[in-house]
Amino acid sequence: MKHLFRITSVLVLTLFLTACGGDKKPAQSDSTSTGTAAAGKPKKVILFFGDSLTAGYGLDDATQAFPGVVQTKIDSAKLPYIIINGGLSGETSAGGRSRIDWLLKQQPFDIFVLELGANDGLRGLPVADTEKNLQAIIDKVKAKYPQAKLVMLGMQVPTNMGAAYSSDFKNIFPELATKNKMTLVPFLLQGVGGVRKLNQADGIHPTEEGAKILGANVWEKLKEIL
Amino acid sequence: MDNVNYNRKINFGWLFKMAVRDSRRNRARLLLFISSIVFGIAALVAIYSFKYNIQNDINAQAATLIGADLSINGNKEPDKKLQTLLDSIGSERSEERSFASMIYFTRTKGTRLVNIKALKGAFPYYGSLETTPLQAGADFKTGKYALVDKTLMLQFNARVNDSIKIGNATFVIAGILNKAPGQTGLSSGIAPIVYIPFKYLADTKLIGTGSRINYAYYYKFKPGFDVEKLAKKIDPALDKADYGSDTVENRKENTGRSFGDLSRFLSLVGFIALLLGCVGVASAINIYIREKIASIAIMRCMGVKASEAFLIYLIQITGIGLIGSVAGAILGTSIQHLLPYVLKDFLQITISVQISWMAIWQGIGLGIIISVLFALLPLINIRNISPLNTLRMSFEETATKRDPFRWLVYLLVVLFVVGFSYLQLNDWIGAVVFTIGILVAFLILTAIAWLLIRFTRVLIMSSWSYIWRQGFANLYRPNNQTIILTVSIGLSTAFICTLFLVQQLLISQVSLSSSGNQSNMILFDIQNSQEKALAELTRKQGLPVLSQVPIITMRLDRVNGKTAADAKKDSTLHISPRAFAWEYRVTYRDSLTNSEQISSGKFIGKAEPGKDIPVSAEERFAKRINVKVGDKLIFNVQGVMMNAYVSSIRKVNWNKVQTNFQVVFPAGVLEDAPQFHVLLTHVPSQPVSAKYQQAVVQSFPNVSIIDLGLVLTVLDELLDKIGYVIKFMSGFSIITGIIVLISSVRISKYQRIKESVLLRTMGASRGQIFSITALEYLFLGTLSALTGIVIAIASSWLLAKYTFDMPYNVNLWPVAAIFFAITFLTVIIGLLNSRGILNKPPLEVLRSNA
Repeated sequence: MKHLFRITSVLVLTLFLTACGGDKKPAQSDSTSTGTAAAGKPKKVILFFGDSLTAGYGLDDATQAFPGVVQTKIDSAKLPYIIINGGLSGETSAGGRSRIDWLLKQQPFDIFVLELGANDGLRGLPVADTEKNLQAIIDKVKAKYPQAKLVMLGMQVPTNMGAAYSSDFKNIFPELATKNKMTLVPFLLQGVGGVRKLNQADGIHPTEEGAKILGANVWEKLKEIL
Repeated sequence: MDNVNYNRKINFGWLFKMAVRDSRRNRARLLLFISSIVFGIAALVAIYSFKYNIQNDINAQAATLIGADLSINGNKEPDKKLQTLLDSIGSERSEERSFASMIYFTRTKGTRLVNIKALKGAFPYYGSLETTPLQAGADFKTGKYALVDKTLMLQFNARVNDSIKIGNATFVIAGILNKAPGQTGLSSGIAPIVYIPFKYLADTKLIGTGSRINYAYYYKFKPGFDVEKLAKKIDPALDKADYGSDTVENRKENTGRSFGDLSRFLSLVGFIALLLGCVGVASAINIYIREKIASIAIMRCMGVKASEAFLIYLIQITGIGLIGSVAGAILGTSIQHLLPYVLKDFLQITISVQISWMAIWQGIGLGIIISVLFALLPLINIRNISPLNTLRMSFEETATKRDPFRWLVYLLVVLFVVGFSYLQLNDWIGAVVFTIGILVAFLILTAIAWLLIRFTRVLIMSSWSYIWRQGFANLYRPNNQTIILTVSIGLSTAFICTLFLVQQLLISQVSLSSSGNQSNMILFDIQNSQEKALAELTRKQGLPVLSQVPIITMRLDRVNGKTAADAKKDSTLHISPRAFAWEYRVTYRDSLTNSEQISSGKFIGKAEPGKDIPVSAEERFAKRINVKVGDKLIFNVQGVMMNAYVSSIRKVNWNKVQTNFQVVFPAGVLEDAPQFHVLLTHVPSQPVSAKYQQAVVQSFPNVSIIDLGLVLTVLDELLDKIGYVIKFMSGFSIITGIIVLISSVRISKYQRIKESVLLRTMGASRGQIFSITALEYLFLGTLSALTGIVIAIASSWLLAKYTFDMPYNVNLWPVAAIFFAITFLTVIIGLLNSRGILNKPPLEVLRSNA
């Protein structure tokens, strides 16, 4: 009978994990550098601050996640930038709002890429709150590093959430980008979202192939400000 | 006599006649013997009938865990090949699409994330969609209707006949969903469920590119169909299509070990019922035959051949066995039917009562087999009864121990017990071990009885008072009942006590979540800034904050300097490479919780700045990464490397719904790290839950709530049932055990008649005879109950360790009570046995009982 409760508690923990983005495969969520640190002159730092998409949930290696893909593109373009992967699986906008302090204390950066909100959308959290939290994160970053360039990665929720919610949600990102003068990538998952082949079995996390497309989506806009 | 033809053929008609004639001599006494068989078999039949019925009940309830015989699900549209497979199986099919969506309550204007389930077909096949009003569960498929989760209804103050908007379609709420089969899974945990008819799914326009949909197919098969086999067969095909299947058996296994424990327990009960039957029947038969020795000797004098005498009694015993068994089966079946009726106010579960022919046939068959088998032992002695025994009186054991047939009979008995145990346990090793266990118990009891006989003979001193000398002497005098009573009392005590102890062990494992103050609601993703306010809100609503813990996500970077790459390369390190890939949810605190216990090292609650951090590792986690106290670990806390060492290893009790951790950090290092909090509370009812959830969602929209109420209720109900079944079956078997014990002591009624009557004729007072009998039974009762209890403690320990695989924690005080009760019972029955002799004049007793 003990096991039943073990099941229940495991189930509780599983809930945590699934709700937070996953338990099946390990997420690579460290915010260590994913780029190859070339010796010599100091490089500028790009911080990707996001959730499981940034962390590369379910991929074998964090370098396979889209920030890693972008790093490869930077390296082949011989640009002096290094990417810090600050992704955490399951992060909501509210979570990011608290976590940003830890990273602001740790790591100076020159470019800040914000990729949060997807988990809010999947949980059907009120759109106004997501917007408020994202704004708060942007405010904190601006206060600490007024010179940093900001990039906003847009997100959408699956069709099944309903048209009203979907459109409200989708609109947060361009609005915030305009308001804060950020570079906008309209939809991070463009060409990947809903395409079975490019997603893992759970249907929401991109595969290695999918992540490459995500990287390309980001690179297209990012290269303009490097 | 000279012309007796010793080569005459066996005349069966005559043998039958003799068997009947002999039984006529003392019908009252025969009745007593038969009653012992009746009780033994009644116990067996009743226990088996209950067992079969209960097994069916539990299986039926288990089927509601999934609601069908087989469910197949995946998260993408099945391809052609899979679709063909899906359409080819089952006699009845249902289809379900489920997905997350926002619904809008048009009247109260609320929006909420829900889990939409669009259903087609007659699912659930087992159990039902329990709704208010009742018929809504079946009727909602007839139109654009929806069934809405009860908590959700309360939360949004919605009523039946309100409408809700799902996607582009509007549905009328046909009923409140109280309980649905298959909802024990966690899918239902996060979002409340709304059922809609499949045919209106397209109207919602929620299905399209980019939708995340779960596809489920439910099947019902004809009774007797081997679902497991089919599931195994189609598994590779499903696997290939990224689909999975679930069967009732499967779900039972995953629900935990309670089902396994229950079936093991029922096997044990069945086994014990058999042995109780054996004790009841065997002790009766044994004494019965021994009493017949005089008659047999007389018959031998009249020219009856030894083989004929043997057959006469074999026929008689078979007849007695048959009558006793049939009567026992009838009694057992009526007990099975009457008991739930009588106890209906006390029983918290409904036990279905159906006549179990299986149990009846087994009972009758076993009754006859046991009667004959155990009669054979004394019966083979008949062959050696010489006519001279009439003169000698049967003081001496007539049989020689070397009689080879004796060993054959022993072998038969052992084979029978092994064979039958196999039928119960379906496992040869188990059957042999059980049989050996019983043999050992039997030998111990026999040895104790034998020693008792030896010792009392030496021990008795002429300085003792007359009564004491007589009482003790009865234990070894000819015609003594020491061995048979010690064995039957001892074995019955051992069975009763074993059942009691095992029941105690099993029940202690069932701690119910909904009872008392166990948590059934979990709130997570609480941010630092919200922690205090949320706790306050919880308390304001009158709910307890059972636990509130910070959780920090981190990863393991190095174990004793070894990285993931090292662990992958060198398997001799015994560090699981997966341990490095995992995201650990870690907490920090300065003390242990009551569900934790240090198994080695020392828990350090405070970290010293600048030094390695003392962390506590959970036992299995420590094993997985192969560390001992003092080993070094490096954790990557979201970009910050932290050097730590294992200061203690903990044992965690995972029994309760609570937050348990593989790694616990001390206070003083992680306070500033990015973290969220988890809060556990207990909500007593659905309305309270709804009100609380509403308040939380309003003030803390980002906090996620999991109401385990529904999940836990279904599990609790099942556990409850299993718990009651275990208690009921053990209680019932213990009572039958006592009855068998009583009847086997009762059998000894006629053993002492002659001595008592003689004593009385010689002038012994009633008080003296009373005391002598009391002493004899007191001694027998004490010694055999004590031995039985020691055997029971040993056997329950073995059962706990090897069969049930659980720690042996029992309360031995009730066992002391069992000891006194059984001793007391033995004495009382012994005294009741001699009451007839005490109250009537000696001659009358002799005349009627000689």
